[in-house]
Amino acid sequence: MEGFLQALAAGLLIGAVYGLMCVGLGLIFGVMRVINFAHGDFMMLGMYVAFYLFTAVGIQALFGNTVGPFVAILLAGPALAVFGYFVHLALISHVSGTRTASLEGEGHYAQLILTLGIALILQNGGLIIFGSVLASIRTPLSSSAWELGPFFDMSIFLNKARSIDAIVSLAIMTLLSLLITRTRIGKSLRAAADNPTAATYMGIDVDRAHRTAFALGCGITAVAGGLLATNYPFHPFVGLEYVIVMYAGVVLGGMGSIIGAFWGGMTIGLVQQMSTLILPTQLQNAAIFAVFLLIIFFRPQGFFGRMVERT
Amino acid sequence: MLRIEGLSAGYSAKPVLNGVSINVEAGEFVAIVGPNGAGKTTLFKTISGIVKPSGGGISFDGVDLLAVPPPQRAHLGIAHVPEGRQVFPSLTVMENLEMGAMTESGRRDWQANIERIFEWLPVLKERRNQFAGTMSGGQQQMLAIGRGLASSPKLLMLDEPSMGLAPSTADFIFERLIEIRRQSGLTMLLVEQRVAEALESADHGYVLEAGHVVLEGNNDTLRADDRVRKAYLGM
Repeated sequence: MEGFLQALAAGLLIGAVYGLMCVGLGLIFGVMRVINFAHGDFMMLGMYVAFYLFTAVGIQALFGNTVGPFVAILLAGPALAVFGYFVHLALISHVSGTRTASLEGEGHYAQLILTLGIALILQNGGLIIFGSVLASIRTPLSSSAWELGPFFDMSIFLNKARSIDAIVSLAIMTLLSLLITRTRIGKSLRAAADNPTAATYMGIDVDRAHRTAFALGCGITAVAGGLLATNYPFHPFVGLEYVIVMYAGVVLGGMGSIIGAFWGGMTIGLVQQMSTLILPTQLQNAAIFAVFLLIIFFRPQGFFGRMVERT
Repeated sequence: MLRIEGLSAGYSAKPVLNGVSINVEAGEFVAIVGPNGAGKTTLFKTISGIVKPSGGGISFDGVDLLAVPPPQRAHLGIAHVPEGRQVFPSLTVMENLEMGAMTESGRRDWQANIERIFEWLPVLKERRNQFAGTMSGGQQQMLAIGRGLASSPKLLMLDEPSMGLAPSTADFIFERLIEIRRQSGLTMLLVEQRVAEALESADHGYVLEAGHVVLEGNNDTLRADDRVRKAYLGM
């Protein structure tokens, strides 16, 4: 019982960060319908940006070892958003949006090749610049825990760094859902996703909406990456490991549903941690995909997906 | 107000419009009628910028429209109520109307506009928090019209508002449009296959066939024309 509660707690904490990571991709896919294979590598870049902001730019000296990493991680978000903005402007916009709206397949083939190419450049460029040594954003919080309880002689230990990671994720998620549901920008992003042609008739610049979504998605995933890096070491090819989880989360949540992607990521975090109760650690990822297939078998549209075709 | 001269447009190499000239004066209600495939929807899409013309010109309020990027055209005062309604299904009725009011004038007049829209199309008020995708075709059509009105347009372009609707619903929507026009004096450009109704309520009409304007005139002239009577009015 104690092991179960411990795994549940760990799953919820990591699930919140996975959720945030998936939302970044879900936002891009939901608004633009672009399959971005490079998204894991944007996250890798976010991890390194947070790492160097912390260690090399003086945030460590300024904020110390406890608060500093989180300051650096939060700053990596805007940095990657700016990067994503220009990647969209210079590359992605040429194979998506209004430019390819009238083409067969809406330019998806070109998008696949382009984003794969960006992924390769980021991975190998990262190898040249950052080297192959494992890096991590260490904080004293990573190796200490809060004790919850005891309840009926049972105590649950919450890793401090992971708890703060989860809280930061939930806070960003709340801000994002307010942005999406309440603000004019958020509503116009949803309108552009629902029907790009009609959105143009309303005076919404669909390509600009796409650029906003792409930048936001990159920034959000970068923050999630930085948060993961407080517990997991990383390297230039780490994006590959996460991008698969991201897509599983987005599909589970329902393709096109932004909030759904969060719950998809949460599910994956829970399954991953709970599976350690009955399976060897090496089978964590296998367990994720077994559950993934099971859910998709019974609910092919995902948790929040709509079965109807978009008009 | 809207001046289309010698407009040609099409998809790939296949021309759909062949030198179409149409004129809409401020305050006028102009109907364009014609059979399926005559190029009516393409004409509207060219005005909105979704289809690029291969020749000719469009000016709106003295502005060369073809030099204006498509998303900016709504801001000039053109509201396009598209064929097949095309409401935003995952947005609520209210949010759809807000999207209509993305233009500067729409934002400025939001309060007054929304009151008038709810008065003209009360079903939108009743269902303002419902997702547009869950409404019936007729309700979606009314929402599409309301969304167009929410931008405080100078010109309202309606692409087959009766399409796919039960005759009684289509009649109701026509009656609403005439009432809206009577109260607001809004300039309207209507594309319609229900020729009798369209010509009856419009001041001026154009008959479009295979990408050409084959006939134009005020509604009495058109309704008296033998070809129109035979081909479209079944007389």
